[in-house]
Amino acid sequence: MHLFLEQLLNGVAIGSIYALVTLGLALVYGILRILHVAHAAVYTVGAYLGLLFFKMSGSLLVGCAGAIAGCAVLGVAIERLIYFPLLKYPPYVPLIASIAILLALEEVCRLVAGPYILTFPAQLRFPALHVLGVDVPSSVTGILCITAAILAFLWFLTTRTETGLAMRAVSQDLAIADAMGINSHAVISFTFAVGSAIAAVAGVLVGIYYNQVYSTMGSVPAYKTLAIIVVGGLGSVPGAVAASLLLGIAETLLIGYAHIPLPRDALAFLAMIAVLMWRSEGLFGSR
Amino acid sequence: MLLEVNRLEISYGDVRAVHGVDFVVEEGELVSIIGANGAGKTSILNGLMGLVPARRGSIRFHGQEITAVPAHKRAHGGIRLVPERARVFPRLSVFENLLTGAYGLRKKIDLDGRLRWLYELFPILEERRDQPAQTLSGGEQQQLAIARALISDPRLLLVDEISMGLMPKLVDQVFDLLQSLNRDLGLTILLVEQNARASLEISHRAYVLETGSVVMEGPAKDLLNNPDIRKAYLGLAREEEAKRQ
Repeated sequence: MHLFLEQLLNGVAIGSIYALVTLGLALVYGILRILHVAHAAVYTVGAYLGLLFFKMSGSLLVGCAGAIAGCAVLGVAIERLIYFPLLKYPPYVPLIASIAILLALEEVCRLVAGPYILTFPAQLRFPALHVLGVDVPSSVTGILCITAAILAFLWFLTTRTETGLAMRAVSQDLAIADAMGINSHAVISFTFAVGSAIAAVAGVLVGIYYNQVYSTMGSVPAYKTLAIIVVGGLGSVPGAVAASLLLGIAETLLIGYAHIPLPRDALAFLAMIAVLMWRSEGLFGSR
Repeated sequence: MLLEVNRLEISYGDVRAVHGVDFVVEEGELVSIIGANGAGKTSILNGLMGLVPARRGSIRFHGQEITAVPAHKRAHGGIRLVPERARVFPRLSVFENLLTGAYGLRKKIDLDGRLRWLYELFPILEERRDQPAQTLSGGEQQQLAIARALISDPRLLLVDEISMGLMPKLVDQVFDLLQSLNRDLGLTILLVEQNARASLEISHRAYVLETGSVVMEGPAKDLLNNPDIRKAYLGLAREEEAKRQ
């Protein structure tokens, strides 16, 4: 029973990280209907920037702030310089561009930081807990708290502020949002900044959790998060979060606990295929 | 002169939708542009709102050149659109749809007062306040689209094919409402309509648009009595012939 609860908790932690990476993808799909594959590269860059600023300052907070700022700028640059000019073409054009950005950014990381796995020797200063006889390591507490805080912030932003109203309006009808006096291009850039900032936090958390930062750390998340937003319902933020948590739990329990002989990363795709066959709008989507 | 349009030309790729039209709207006027489907009416309104770029020509609003001004700035300058088929934000509630109309203006306008006035005008919107707009009927969505445009207290209201898809009874109500907004509150309205008779009956002046060009203009009363217009747009000629026989 203890092992089960421990694994469940690990699953939630891993699912939380998936959620943080996937949020940006869901936000971008919701507003531009683009599959922003390069988002995983933003997450990788976030991990590197976090490590860089952490090493320079010795403070994880500064590391995180640097990663957030750098990734927000990177995300907006990708939107302004690459996606926006391509919006007039069919959706596969920005998708191809996005894959190219992913590969290019990974190469840039490899060239700048070297083809090594770097360690991220930082500690999340969260308390280790002991609940119901289960040990919760401080890294798990940290991931859960940070994810909860980010989700709460995002919920507040989208449902309780005028900017959030504008984001939802632009995602539903961009031209009419403009006619209502909303500067939709600014709203789109803001959405990229928010999604990329969250990816930066995810990159730093993963770097610390596994004590690894490397240039291809975004490769698996790049396609796994695609599977997650399909399962959750394209463009649905609650769907993306729910699907991320479910996947994290399923991966940990089915493969780590029940020892089902499958490669761990296959599960996301089995779920995606199942969803496409039986409920193509996804768990939370609408058609 | 509130709105002055000179040689406005709009194209989509190689297809020219509007071939250099000229028209004006004076402060306090209710003007309609009538014409068949595909004559370029919606393109003109979208061009005035800034949703499609003008290929050539100029648009002046309150004497200011706005041809290159982006849509959201035109909206803040007082031009508001009631789009074809309402185009309310489907997954926003009725109330949130109204708030989008007041985006960036909440401190400049008396939001509560405007909401009270709109709920008086359209009681159904208060009843359905928290429902997603997509659950409204077509007529209710049109009311919401009008309310969303009115909440900002616009100087020029652009109304695109408001009668489309509405029951005849509702069409009459909507046109009565537009007329009273114009007559009682002095709201300047530019109406674009396929339903020529209903729009001519409430308009001061009108322009007739055919394949992207203005072919006739004048006081709405004259156009209502013009035999060519009656034949082409009002479907009256045949009725009268039938009566005579």
